[in-house]
Amino acid sequence: MTKTDPSTDLAPLTESVVTGLPPERVREARRRRHPFRKPVTSILRHAFLIAAAVLMLYPVIWMVVSSFRPTELIFREAGLVFDSFEISNYVEGWNALSYPFNVYLLNSGLVVVGSIIGNLVSCSLAAYAFARLEFTGKKFWFAIMLLSIMLPIHVIIVPQYVMFSQLGWVNTFLPLIVPKLLATDAFFIFLMVQFIRGIPRELDEAARIDGAGHPRIFLQIILPLMVPALATTTIFTFIWTWNDFFSQLIFLTKPSLYTVPLALNAFQDAQSSTDFGELFAMSVVSLIPIFLIFLFGQRFLIKGIATTGIK
Amino acid sequence: MSALGELRSLKGAAAPKQRKQNKAAFLFLLPWFVGLALITVGPMVASFALSFTRYNLLSPPRFNGVENYIRMLEDERLHKALVVTFQYVLVSVPLQLGLALVLALVLDRGLRGLALYRSAFYLPSLLGASVAIAILWRQLFGVDGLINIALGWFGIEGQGWISNPETALGTLMILNVWTFGAPMVIFLAGLRQIPVMYYEAASVDGANRMQQFRHITLPMLTPIIFFNLILQLIGAFQSFTQAFVVSGGTGGPVDSTLFYTLYLYQQGFANLNMGYASAMAWLLLVIIAALTAINFWASKYWVFYDDQD
Amino acid sequence: MRGITRRRAGFVAAIGAATLVLTACAGNDAGGGEAAAPELKLSDEPVTLSFTWWGNDTRHAATEEIIAAFEAEYPNITIEPQYTDWAGYWDKLSTSVAAGDIPDIIQMDEKQLSTYAANGVLADLGELSSILSTEDFPEAVLGTGALDGTQYGVPVGINSYTIIANKDLLDQYGVDLPDDETWTWDDFVATAEEVATASGGAIVGTQSWGFEDGGLNNWLRQHGESLYDGAEVAASEETLAGWWEFLLEATEAGATPDPAATIERESGGLAESFTATNASAFGPWWSNQVQALRDASGQDLVALRVPSTADGSAYYKPSMFWSASAKTEHQAEVATFLDFLANSEEAADLLLAERGVPANEKIREYITPKLDEVNQTVVEFLDGLAPEVGDAPPATPPGGGAIETIIDQHTQKVLFGELTPEQAATSFIEELQRALDDAAI
Repeated sequence: MTKTDPSTDLAPLTESVVTGLPPERVREARRRRHPFRKPVTSILRHAFLIAAAVLMLYPVIWMVVSSFRPTELIFREAGLVFDSFEISNYVEGWNALSYPFNVYLLNSGLVVVGSIIGNLVSCSLAAYAFARLEFTGKKFWFAIMLLSIMLPIHVIIVPQYVMFSQLGWVNTFLPLIVPKLLATDAFFIFLMVQFIRGIPRELDEAARIDGAGHPRIFLQIILPLMVPALATTTIFTFIWTWNDFFSQLIFLTKPSLYTVPLALNAFQDAQSSTDFGELFAMSVVSLIPIFLIFLFGQRFLIKGIATTGIK
Repeated sequence: MSALGELRSLKGAAAPKQRKQNKAAFLFLLPWFVGLALITVGPMVASFALSFTRYNLLSPPRFNGVENYIRMLEDERLHKALVVTFQYVLVSVPLQLGLALVLALVLDRGLRGLALYRSAFYLPSLLGASVAIAILWRQLFGVDGLINIALGWFGIEGQGWISNPETALGTLMILNVWTFGAPMVIFLAGLRQIPVMYYEAASVDGANRMQQFRHITLPMLTPIIFFNLILQLIGAFQSFTQAFVVSGGTGGPVDSTLFYTLYLYQQGFANLNMGYASAMAWLLLVIIAALTAINFWASKYWVFYDDQD
Repeated sequence: MRGITRRRAGFVAAIGAATLVLTACAGNDAGGGEAAAPELKLSDEPVTLSFTWWGNDTRHAATEEIIAAFEAEYPNITIEPQYTDWAGYWDKLSTSVAAGDIPDIIQMDEKQLSTYAANGVLADLGELSSILSTEDFPEAVLGTGALDGTQYGVPVGINSYTIIANKDLLDQYGVDLPDDETWTWDDFVATAEEVATASGGAIVGTQSWGFEDGGLNNWLRQHGESLYDGAEVAASEETLAGWWEFLLEATEAGATPDPAATIERESGGLAESFTATNASAFGPWWSNQVQALRDASGQDLVALRVPSTADGSAYYKPSMFWSASAKTEHQAEVATFLDFLANSEEAADLLLAERGVPANEKIREYITPKLDEVNQTVVEFLDGLAPEVGDAPPATPPGGGAIETIIDQHTQKVLFGELTPEQAATSFIEELQRALDDAAI
């Protein structure tokens, strides 16, 4: 990773300017931070990581393998058995419900995109206020913010449903998206507050001396420096919304609006038969988008101050 | 020591005491205030009011004073649920955070294929609460599961880990630790937030890797550790789905995995005692709030903010 | 604050609806039952009805076909389907009722029927009798959907508790299929133990019981008792204790698996059960699960009578009911759709035995030849049981839905030795009674 990251390769030079040290010493310092460059340790480390990954992934692998097996064999001859490779579970599972599976993927996608935008905008604004501004009752409001995430969803959902039902929002995506636009996912505010507080204040002081107001400091200084926090928020919002079952169950009733978790749920009935082959196949399908998002999104996680440097 | 001293001096003097910026703050907080007033407070107040009623969801609630709260004192299943939940929180949160931190450090940089490893370690957390989790867990910890097969190789006779009252909670703790991906990602992001120049300076001072970790990485990461602690604490107290899917909604065997919110759900939706469930929710809120407050107070002694005075 | 005021508005509406229902019932009684049912007329305007049920993808597909067939016949009526699995269904239904959004047509369960009816959620179907006919339903079966003389649900399918035997496994281990007309509980356990021993531990004799109320109801009836009497728990401590005692004995004798294995399979549902995975010779099930079990196991499973079945101890349990919202604005259309579901051959052709063997006798006769082999044996089994079938047990009173968790939890405690059968019986009655008292209006 490090080698392919161009900004890091230039970094010793920039940093030598900042720290006033000769570039060689900075390089020397950098090298010391990567003591695993030696091939033997590196191989050992890979071996350890691969072993750990297999252990972690065994259940997932089991699910993927089972998704290619006929349903009746999955439990009758359980275990990791590579005895068949049939894609029929995928083909039939895709069309097993009222609508083809892409409808549910798209619905989930819409909810997810709305939620991500909502959380990024509203939570970062609120976080800036909590982290950087002095205002009356700051501690009080911060406590309220944390309190608001301490009640379990099961007692909140009924009053919420009554409220959204009065507004006529049931059976739309609004009850799932609008709260995010209004920063009700307070976890992310708290997360961003912690990150912003990690950004040296000298940066905004300098900008203030240049005559920048809060909107400009927020947009031009803070936001670019909190990319890891924004990436974290994006990834988490994606995954949590993608997997969220309960509120989607309660607020969406029309099958044409069903999201992926609701669709997956429609496969099963503990009292009679569940087509586990198809269920697993569609679960694998629904894992692909989040896996890809994570695989590509995580590069933004590592784009912090460390690589953007300090001006 | 010297590195930390350097760090402080790099930060420059403490930020000047600022005057109130109420107007700007109000504008930045506007979406949140609107959400608070319209979406958050209403249902919260409603649930508080409902905690003083008998409410079966199907008919209007009827006021019954503090009866629900008195009942909580005598409810043995509730007490069992509290014990189970506290055990779960105390064991699984530190374990999960520790593992997440270690792997975040290992996966931070300096190795090929890190993106793949990170994704692999994160994958279990993506499975969420799907029914697949429960099945997968039985495949691992069941009577005929992988763990017992592996134990068999060493001539050890296994047991039904998942349905033995002694070990069932343990398997759920492992399940929680297994999904350490979320805090790991936050740690990764936090590690990247630490300016490289601190390390350069420390290196120049001749600090070794261990010293750098102790005097730079760890203190600089404390706000993130603190955040993860609070996040996992609140999350673990509210933990529901894993116990729900693995035990088939019962909290069994013999209530050994009866998480607080699982019992709350059983009361609220299965038994249609939403009044009682609301009272239970407020007890939970008080517990979580108290522990969070203690943590915030304690954080003064160990969390290091770059913008501190 | 706003949430509260809005809620109150909702509650006022709910009170209004409840009052309406009460007056409607009162009017009905005064007028002398069905004779007073108003003549319903279909609207000329297009009407949309919401229809909710639980199930799996097979049921969803079959039901949507029925909807399409109905809409083709009545182009003015649109049916909006809402479906979920069993657990999510009740969370969602109760939440929407709290907000006054009651689906027009509701698939109901026996354990919830009285709860919803007592709270004024369900319509008196007698009001719909000018369109919705129930004359092809046997009196006793229809009665399971009535409470205090008011019909709240039309039974959909019928079911009976049964012991399912795996003939292939019995053959394999050289054990004869027992004669279920004469066998006793002791015979049952002895046979189960015989198979388990013959297999050398490869399979278990029989699955444990005690995880739902079907087995308990049968046991109580064989002892001349019933679970409920009105809103009271009527089962005696002795009989309850005897039931758990017997389970313990069977476990000690090696006829049933060890507790941990039992609980593990139990939480896995049908697909992971011993019966479905050919890991046990016997297992207690409901007759409408035979098909799913056969599909999963791929072996020859047969339904046997519950041991010691005697005159009147067996009973038909409705698999589910069709109910209607008390608040529906389109009574005539609801009645038309319910009639289509309950009485039409078209719907039966599409549904077959998916919701159980039809409770409607005419439809059952019509559909039986069209069923596959497995379901035909189920129909035969149910018909053969008829001489021993007595009146259905007293209806589950409001709040009785809680029995699912209570029974499960007590059986677990008995199996793991945390409670003796006697202690479990006392505690069971106490907790169940508490749930009933909580739900009392």
